[in-house]
Amino acid sequence: MFRKVLIANRGEIALRVLRACRELGVESVVAYSEADRESLPVQLADEAICIGPADARRSYLSAPAVISAALVTGCDAIHPGYGFLSEDEGFAEVVAAHDLTFIGPPAAVLERFASKAGTRALLAAHGLPTIPGSDGMLRDEMHALDEAARIGYPVLIKPSAGGGGKGMRMVRTPRELEAALRVCRSEAKAAFGDDSLYLERWLDENRHVEVQVAIDRYGHGVHMGERDCSVQRRHQKILEEAPTPALSEAARTDLCERAIRAVVAAGYENIGTLEFLVDASGAFYFIEINCRIQVEHPVTEMLTGIDMVATQIRIAAGEPLGFSQADVIMRGHAIEFRINAEDPAHEFRPGAGLIERYHAPGGPGVRMDSHLFSGYEVPPFYDSLIGKLIVWGPDRATAIARGRVALDELVVDGLVTNVAIHQAMLANETFLEGRMTTNLLDRVGSAAFLAAAARS
Amino acid sequence: MPEPVQPEDRPPERSAAERSADHAAIDRLSDELLPALIAKLGATGLGELEVREGAWRVRLRRPADGTGASGSRERRPGDRERAARGAGGTSTAAAHGHAGLTPVGPGRDGRDGREGAHDRETRDGRDSRDGAGRDAGRIVASSPAVGIFKPKPEARAGTKVRAGDRLGSVDMLGIPQEVVAPADGVVGASLVEAGDAVEYGQELILIEFASPTSEA
Repeated sequence: MFRKVLIANRGEIALRVLRACRELGVESVVAYSEADRESLPVQLADEAICIGPADARRSYLSAPAVISAALVTGCDAIHPGYGFLSEDEGFAEVVAAHDLTFIGPPAAVLERFASKAGTRALLAAHGLPTIPGSDGMLRDEMHALDEAARIGYPVLIKPSAGGGGKGMRMVRTPRELEAALRVCRSEAKAAFGDDSLYLERWLDENRHVEVQVAIDRYGHGVHMGERDCSVQRRHQKILEEAPTPALSEAARTDLCERAIRAVVAAGYENIGTLEFLVDASGAFYFIEINCRIQVEHPVTEMLTGIDMVATQIRIAAGEPLGFSQADVIMRGHAIEFRINAEDPAHEFRPGAGLIERYHAPGGPGVRMDSHLFSGYEVPPFYDSLIGKLIVWGPDRATAIARGRVALDELVVDGLVTNVAIHQAMLANETFLEGRMTTNLLDRVGSAAFLAAAARS
Repeated sequence: MPEPVQPEDRPPERSAAERSADHAAIDRLSDELLPALIAKLGATGLGELEVREGAWRVRLRRPADGTGASGSRERRPGDRERAARGAGGTSTAAAHGHAGLTPVGPGRDGRDGREGAHDRETRDGRDSRDGAGRDAGRIVASSPAVGIFKPKPEARAGTKVRAGDRLGSVDMLGIPQEVVAPADGVVGASLVEAGDAVEYGQELILIEFASPTSEA
C-alpha cells in the first residue's frame, strides 16, 4: 500500500478521496489552488500544499505543479479524482517516470483506451455491439459530411477529449452539421485544449446506461452492476440511479456480464465505466469507456456496500481485488441528485458566491457528499457541482420518497441551485414510471418542466 | 479587489429601478463576461484586458510574475494552521483576489464589504502581535511555483535591488521559476532556507526600505 497520496483535485471528490485514504490508513496531502485556500478539503487535510493560482491550467491542470507538489511532500502516489488530469495518459506517463503511482489505470492501459474510435473497435472485437460512428477523427468539413452520410442522420458530434456535454451537438441535416462543426471545435478547444471531433449515430429515444467494472493487475475482474444516467440536460448528467428501470433483471445481468468479459479480455485495469446507449427495444450499444472514478460512483456504493475509491487505490497499489463476482451483492435502489450552483430558471446559468447557510439532509438511506459549509465562498473558476445527494431505499418507490424528503430538507442559502429541477423530476410522470430518455428535459425545456411540476 | 468605477455621468442619487438595473447588469457581467475574459486573458500572454459595454467598463489585470500570490502568507507545506490571508503589504493590494485578476467596475456590495472586513480583521490581529505600523508596509518576494527554493548567491541580505530583479528561483521538476523582487529596496531576511520545499505563493524573502511607491 502507498505511504502517502497526493490528492490532486478539489471540491467533494477531494474530500471523498481524503476520507478513503484515512480509512485505508494512508497519509494524504491535499493539493489546492489559491482560490481553494479556504475550502473544506484543505481545512480537513492533515497536510495541504498550494500548487498554483485559481486558473486551473496553472494549478489542477498543470502536470509539473502537481508532480512537483507530490515530490516535495514525499508522496508516492497521486489521486487525480475526476476531470482535470484524471484521464490524461501523458500525465500518467510522467507520473510513472518520477517513480510515483498514478491512481487509475497504468499509462499503457490509458493509452490503449485513449482513442474513442479505437476503443469501440477493440471492444467490438471482444463481442460488444457498438454505436455506428465515424472512422477516427474528423479531418475537415468534407470528411465530416461524407462520414455523416455513411452513418445516417441524425448524428452526434462529440469531442475526442473530455466529457460533460461540452463540444457536443446533435445535428439532423448536412447544413446543421456544417454550422455546428465550428462551434464544437472551439468549445472543445476551450474546454479540453484539444479540438478533435468525431461522429456517432444519434438515437432519438435513447437511455444512457453504464456498467461499473473493477479489474485488478492480475486480470481478475468483476462488474458492480449498472447505473441509469438518462436524466440529462444538454448531454450533461444531472441525476443517476440504479438499477436501471429500462431493462429487466435478465437483460441487466446480460449487459453487465458481456461488458466485464469484453474489458477483461481487452486488457483493462483498475476501476472503469463502460457507457452504453439503450434503444426503445432494449438493444444496447457501447459508446465509450471512462477510465476514472466517476461523479456518480456513490450510487453503486449504496447498492453494493463496496467502497469504490478504496478499491481503486488498492488496485493501483497492486493488491488483488480480494473478492469475486459472487461477493458483489446488489440490494435495493439508489438515486443520486447532482446539486449544482446553476439557475434552472435562467438556462442553468452557473453562479458563485457566499453560502450563507448550509444544512445537509439526513435520515436512513440518505448520504450527502459535499464540500459546502456555512460561510464558504463558492469560487467562480470551476465546475458548478457543489454536492451530491444520494438516497437509498429497498425499492425505487422508497428511494424516490426519501429523495423528496431529503431535497426538501437540504438548505443552500446564498446562491441559486438546481434543486427545483430535481423536485420537478420527482413529480414527473415519465420519470416516476421509469420511462425517461436522455431528451426528456431538453425536449420540454427546463422552464416548462418547472412550470408543469408547479401545477401538479 | 474591485475598484469601483461609476458608469459615466451617473447622478449621485439613484432610483430603485436604476439600482436594480445596475444589479442585473452586474450579475450579467460577472456571470457571462468575466469567466470569458478570464479565459481569454489566461490564453493570451497579455497583461491586461479592458472591455467597454455601454456605460460599463471591465478591466482585468494580471500581476507581474512573482506577485501573483494574494497577500501575505505564513503557511509552510505541511502546516495545519490556516494562512492569514490578504493582509499583506499594501503594494500587493492590486493582486489581492482569487486569480490575481483585478476586475474593475461596480463590485458586488456584499462581497466588497466582507473582503474589507476580513482585511481589517487580519491586519488588527497582526498589529497586536507585531507592534503597530511596521508590518503594514512589509514587502515580500513570494514563490512563483511549488518546488525547491534556491536563492541567488549575489542577492544576499543588504543588497540593493530594483523591482523585477532576480533573487533566486524555485525549481519545479528541474525547471527554475524566477523569484523576483516585487519592489525597489534592500534585500532583508530570508524566510526559508536554500533547498527548502516551498508552495506556490509562499513568502520567501523580505524586501526592506522599499521605495515610496510601496507606501511603506
